[in-house]
Amino acid sequence: MKRSRTTAMVQRIAAYVTIAVALVLTLFPVYWIASNSFKYDIDIFSVPPQWFPVNPVLKHYHAAFVERPFLQYALNSLIIAVATTLVSLVLGTMAGYALARFRFPGQWRYQISFWILSTRMMPPIVTIIPLYIAFNYFDMLNTKLAVVIAYTAFNLPFATWMMKSYFQDLPVELEEAAMVDGDTRWGAFLRVALPLARPGLAATSIFCLIISWNEFLLALVLTLTERSQTLPIGIAGRVTQYNTYWGEISAAGFTACIPIMIFAFIVQKHLVRGLSFGAVKG
Amino acid sequence: MASVKFSGVTKKFGSFVAVANLDLEIMDKEFLVLLGPSGCGKTTTMRMVAGLEEITSGDIYIGTDQVNDVLPKYRDVAMVFQSYALYPHLSVEDNIGYPLRVRKVPPAERKRQVAEVARRVELDTLLARLPKELSGGQRQRVALARAIIRTPRVFLMDEPLSNLDAKLRVQMRAELKHLQHELQVTTIYVTHDQIEAMTLAHRVAVMNRGVIEQLGTPKDIYNNPRTLFVAGFIGSPPMNLIDGEARNGVFTGPGGIRVGGLGRANVMRAVMGVRPEDVQVLAGNHGDANATAPIYSVELTGESTLVSVRAGDHLLTMRADKNFAGDFDQMVGVRIAPDRVFLFDRESENRVDF
Repeated sequence: MKRSRTTAMVQRIAAYVTIAVALVLTLFPVYWIASNSFKYDIDIFSVPPQWFPVNPVLKHYHAAFVERPFLQYALNSLIIAVATTLVSLVLGTMAGYALARFRFPGQWRYQISFWILSTRMMPPIVTIIPLYIAFNYFDMLNTKLAVVIAYTAFNLPFATWMMKSYFQDLPVELEEAAMVDGDTRWGAFLRVALPLARPGLAATSIFCLIISWNEFLLALVLTLTERSQTLPIGIAGRVTQYNTYWGEISAAGFTACIPIMIFAFIVQKHLVRGLSFGAVKG
Repeated sequence: MASVKFSGVTKKFGSFVAVANLDLEIMDKEFLVLLGPSGCGKTTTMRMVAGLEEITSGDIYIGTDQVNDVLPKYRDVAMVFQSYALYPHLSVEDNIGYPLRVRKVPPAERKRQVAEVARRVELDTLLARLPKELSGGQRQRVALARAIIRTPRVFLMDEPLSNLDAKLRVQMRAELKHLQHELQVTTIYVTHDQIEAMTLAHRVAVMNRGVIEQLGTPKDIYNNPRTLFVAGFIGSPPMNLIDGEARNGVFTGPGGIRVGGLGRANVMRAVMGVRPEDVQVLAGNHGDANATAPIYSVELTGESTLVSVRAGDHLLTMRADKNFAGDFDQMVGVRIAPDRVFLFDRESENRVDF
């Protein structure tokens, strides 16, 4: 009895230690960015390190958001990320539903699903030159629309697959019941399948949002102007030939984390699975 | 309210034939039970009426309308699923009112009708709950209420009682029967439980491997099984089916079973069928016994005692008086009433008249 209590105690301590280590590893860089963004440049590189900003200042925020166009970059990022997420979600949900529910001759369901996924199997960099040429041809370089299109093309396969798997987990009888009750296929999708796939919608949207908020490579190639560049490009632009503006980078970087954190916080309650529990079986 | 007619209906899944060339007419207001083991095609048959499965060939009519390619929503049928298929994100009230909502019935009228139906199935105090907050029996009632809130032309019920516990099942069975009588709606009911079939149906269609083996009233199916499958499927405990040989009206089987008086029956590979209640157990050695065999088991069911004796490699079960007393391996005589015996041909599995 006593022995097992000791074992349980040890296991508990081990668990807490593991969690603590993981938290430090993931949160410390965020803390360090936040802390540096409030320090004078000289304090950022002080030895020994200054763990807390001794004389907190907002000059880097002023430099980034007032003197330099980081507000514009943030707005561009927001528009591009939200638009990409909405389009990917709408198209991915409908494609995923079709792949989960509709009848396909022979192996076609598998073939089409695999083909969709396979578009993600090449490294994105190989598509950059063709994309650049295509957007240049349509005179769409340096537009947010071009970035949204490119991001949607990359997010859609994942959105489709994620939604497909969510719909496949829903009991098909619920939609059958709706149709026998007098609903159309579209009505059953809208009134029954979609509300029940809410955890899937939440997970897919946060996934799309993070990917397009953080994306660097495509945006770097497709945009050059202030009106089209996103936050990651703006931040990278503060590494210049003569100087690296660590304070501004930290201020902009820390600000860039905040919207995603807020969004994740809002949708996390929808991420809980099991809404459909109790639908079938007594 | 309408009849339902199958005319040469076949359903294939790939190369697997689920339903083969089915001809069946279900009368207006009739309660028809499709009975059979799992995989016999009974659920597929019902889903074809609902429009949830396309038919491979043949025609289905509801009333006078050919509905082969009609969408489920235009067929005017209501279905109770085995899993109930309640919408988990909607309250009991919205679940029951769903068929009215999609038909654009105004909310006030919808509310009134839901309240009325809920009262009928004793759910009126639970309207605000979600399905997951209900017991199995209550969920079943919600499914039922959703089906009866409008008066459809046909009710379809797919093993609606199989997820309930035994006691509730008996109670709901009676309620279903009463409800169908009251509403006078044509009903197709799928089950693998022969007791449900016997108690509920006006007519039973016994299905096996995609075809109807026999169609008739419960009484007819019980007293007059036309194939070996039907004989073995209907009745609890099941009919004794004993392999042997029939020659000149005399059946001889394992363990010295000998039953005469079977007309002039001549079947090389015969199966004798006799129900447990038509076999009598005789105390001790009797001259006119059809067999003498050792007792294998004695089971008291309450209203009677089931006695099984060993006859060769077969067990012969009979229903004896509840006061019957006997011990394992005790030798008893067995008397089989010849006029209650069925003979089947092992080759064709059909009944042989004598």
